[in-house]
Amino acid sequence: MSEPTTGRTESAESAEPDFLKVSDLHAGYGQARVLQGLDFSVARGEVCAILGPNGAGKTTTLRALCGMVRGRGSVTLNGTELLGRSPEQAARLGVAHVPEGRGTFNDLTVEENLRIGAHLRTGLGRRGRAGRAAVAADLERIYDYFPKLRQRSRQAAGSLSGGEQQMLAIGRALMLRPSLLLLDEPSLGLAPLVTRELFEIVRAVNEEERTTVVVVEQNAQLALDVAHQAHVLEAGRLVLSGPAAQIREDGQVAEVYLGVSVSSRKAG
Amino acid sequence: MSAVTEFLQQVTEGLGSGAVYASLALALVLIHRFTGIVNFAQGELAMISTYVAWQLVASGMSFWLALPVTLAVSFAGGMLIERIVIRPVQGAPELTVVIVTVGLFVFVNAMAGLIWSFTVKDFPQQFPDGGIDLAGVRVDWSTLGIIGVVAVVMGLLYLLFQHISAGLVMRAVACNPASARLAGIRVSRVLMLGWGLAATVGAVSGVLVAPVLFLEPNMMGGVLIYAFAAATLGGFDSPVGAVVGGLFVGVAETLTGAYVDVVGADLKVGVPLVIILAVLLARPQGLFGRAAVERA
Amino acid sequence: MSTIVATLGTDRSRRLRAALTVLLAAALAVGAPFYFAPFQVFQLTMVLLYAVALAGLNLLVGFGGQISLGHGAFFAAGAYTAAVMLDRYDIGHLATLPVAAAGCFLLGLGFGVPALRLRGLYLALVTLAFAVFLPPLLKRLEPVTGGSMGLTVDKLQPPAWSGLAEDQWMYFVVLAVTAVALLLARNLLRSRVGRALLAVRDNESAAEVMGVRLALHKTLAFAWSAMFAGVAGCLYTWVIGFVSPDSFSFVLSITLLAGLVVGGLASLYGPLLGAAFVMYVPSVSQDVSEAAPGVVFGLLIIAVMFVAPTGLAGLPGRVRAAVADRLPRTTAGLDRTPETESAPDTEPESRAASEPSATVTPADPAVVDAEPVGAPPRTEKE
Repeated sequence: MSEPTTGRTESAESAEPDFLKVSDLHAGYGQARVLQGLDFSVARGEVCAILGPNGAGKTTTLRALCGMVRGRGSVTLNGTELLGRSPEQAARLGVAHVPEGRGTFNDLTVEENLRIGAHLRTGLGRRGRAGRAAVAADLERIYDYFPKLRQRSRQAAGSLSGGEQQMLAIGRALMLRPSLLLLDEPSLGLAPLVTRELFEIVRAVNEEERTTVVVVEQNAQLALDVAHQAHVLEAGRLVLSGPAAQIREDGQVAEVYLGVSVSSRKAG
Repeated sequence: MSAVTEFLQQVTEGLGSGAVYASLALALVLIHRFTGIVNFAQGELAMISTYVAWQLVASGMSFWLALPVTLAVSFAGGMLIERIVIRPVQGAPELTVVIVTVGLFVFVNAMAGLIWSFTVKDFPQQFPDGGIDLAGVRVDWSTLGIIGVVAVVMGLLYLLFQHISAGLVMRAVACNPASARLAGIRVSRVLMLGWGLAATVGAVSGVLVAPVLFLEPNMMGGVLIYAFAAATLGGFDSPVGAVVGGLFVGVAETLTGAYVDVVGADLKVGVPLVIILAVLLARPQGLFGRAAVERA
Repeated sequence: MSTIVATLGTDRSRRLRAALTVLLAAALAVGAPFYFAPFQVFQLTMVLLYAVALAGLNLLVGFGGQISLGHGAFFAAGAYTAAVMLDRYDIGHLATLPVAAAGCFLLGLGFGVPALRLRGLYLALVTLAFAVFLPPLLKRLEPVTGGSMGLTVDKLQPPAWSGLAEDQWMYFVVLAVTAVALLLARNLLRSRVGRALLAVRDNESAAEVMGVRLALHKTLAFAWSAMFAGVAGCLYTWVIGFVSPDSFSFVLSITLLAGLVVGGLASLYGPLLGAAFVMYVPSVSQDVSEAAPGVVFGLLIIAVMFVAPTGLAGLPGRVRAAVADRLPRTTAGLDRTPETESAPDTEPESRAASEPSATVTPADPAVVDAEPVGAPPRTEKE
């Protein structure tokens, strides 16, 4: 898997193309309207990349999906409306968000971080032998994806390197056994090699667990390698949508990054 | 009595009052860790809890039954206060939050006066009179009892935070509330629990100190200053620091009072002021706290 | 902030109206002692002197954004300076005022230096501890202060030429000092110092980047503020003629803060309203019970922070704004995150600005992406 692939040509042959359906999504902070009506869908089991320049609203999109930011319009996951829910409610519906800047619990050990991820299944009065065994199995599963975390399981999360913290954040999200995984700029501040490794793991998780993933990235190259579908966001609107491979070939991505307006070629 | 014995005697007494400061400091630290707030009303909450205990005992309940009831009432009261008074200003500028806890201080203090009047009440001493003699140093049962109770409280808190999943969840919230919400934790409930827990720990300090200070609405005002000094010294983030700081402040207070003539008994309240100032200027994060990025 | 902008507005009709208001207020202020009974005049005098202390506290808390829970101590320092001077030396009352003012200015300067290194909360701790420490210290310094018995000194006496009664004369003297003090406070805020303070309060790091000399202005704010409290204390001695350590317990400090909050933080006439509060709430509710003033104060402080962080002084403005906002609000409300919604409605621009965004310029659109408004301000812990 080390050679750079040219986007994933195979579709995830999903029977549910509208597993995540975003319609006319508006969101912002206070007076600042960031998202100006987004429409897109993600099929079950697919990886969807959202690309775009700084300030286009990528992070806001993810935050609206997980309830960190209020939005208007509609976002349904498997038919259930997500908008208007708090982050904790969204988590209970299977949405796991790995925030920008990772959001690990730095005072807690690596293993405690992961256990917190399983909180919904084990937390406060929902314990028991079966539950504990399931969590132990999940821990093993995460450690298999991220062997480095196993080595550091007793260390405080704050003592990890940036890449390890990102792994931990993703691991914690996976402990939730999410049906939708949201990754916000996983490559931020990491060395290229580490980033590549991370994305390979994301691809492996997606393939093995069939977890639906929405990833927001500035590093378009990497994200398109892993994604099935991709959307380019500019100034709060989608300006380009399509299969990842096609967008990669298209060269318009570069155009967007150069700041050339392509809003006239709005994708349908 | 030799000079050494005399000195050890003072240290022992200092540890006794230090244990009380430690438990109130623990309450302050708990709330600070969970919410980033320094609760100026913490002493008053402990005071009103003590009144509850006094009322129960005065109405004929045995002290050892009244105590758990008081702690339960304090827990519920702390949760209620978080929900009603603190949550509306959570995330507001620091000034607003501080002023709200000061308002709570004034209100709770006055309510205690309204209900129980400002006359001093005698709070029954639970520990037997007398004590033991350790190489000439007399250790009262009450001193031992106070230290023992605080040690038990510490132990229980340690168990809760290190070995019980609810404690893990609470630590996660204290560390990073935004991420805790993303992990599906109902942060607002955990914050309520945190305030309840702090009120309970604070209540212990009130009940412990009441037989010594006599019960009246302003009983905890002085103790609060010592607890602030203890928490500052230990670092506002560290429960262990609160206890160590409490004991240190207690001993420092007693020794200064006994050996520094200029200070004497009446100016002992200057000791916490000096400790607070010295710690904040020399090592703002305290002995056990993490170095926070301080503005300015 | 809107109150300041409104007050500082240079609109001509506004100026005219302001001038008329001032004239009317002056007429009422001068006429009052001839209309009210001596006891009521005494109460008004107390309101005026409290207003001086509150104006000082307002400089620090309302405009400087620093929290002092120990301003009663500066008040006490001013009061004792005057009392000790009157007790020991054969001098006129007026001579004590500059000494009390200068002494407290220096004391505040001394406090302002360590205060620089303390984040708001810790400053509150230190000042509170100081306020608690002061009464026993005053008792200890018995040879000078008279110990717990306190000092009894001559009250301010009207000169024969005035033909005024004692209460009337005291009222006019205090009125004059208060007027000067309030004007001084206003001018301070209009000056470079005031603008710098506001900038520091609203966004410390940005102000620093802009070249505001942070350390200097924060220390000076403390000194000015202490000076006002000291002047108020000095007036207190003139009017009451008696000082004792128990008059200046830390309850006084908390009462001052309470009065300021209820009257209106960062408002120019908030201190006057707050002072009326400090004076009349206890005297009215004391009839009900000894505890009633505390209950009322405590509830009011919390209530004001919940519903009207701008205090009484800001109320008219808020009502106007609320009515004007009524229609656009329905859509704006949707965009607010749950946290902001439950938080009190303080000036949103200052809250946004206080978020750690020192590394990006506000013009950068990425800021919008990076910082959700209303996220718990806990970043320093991570």
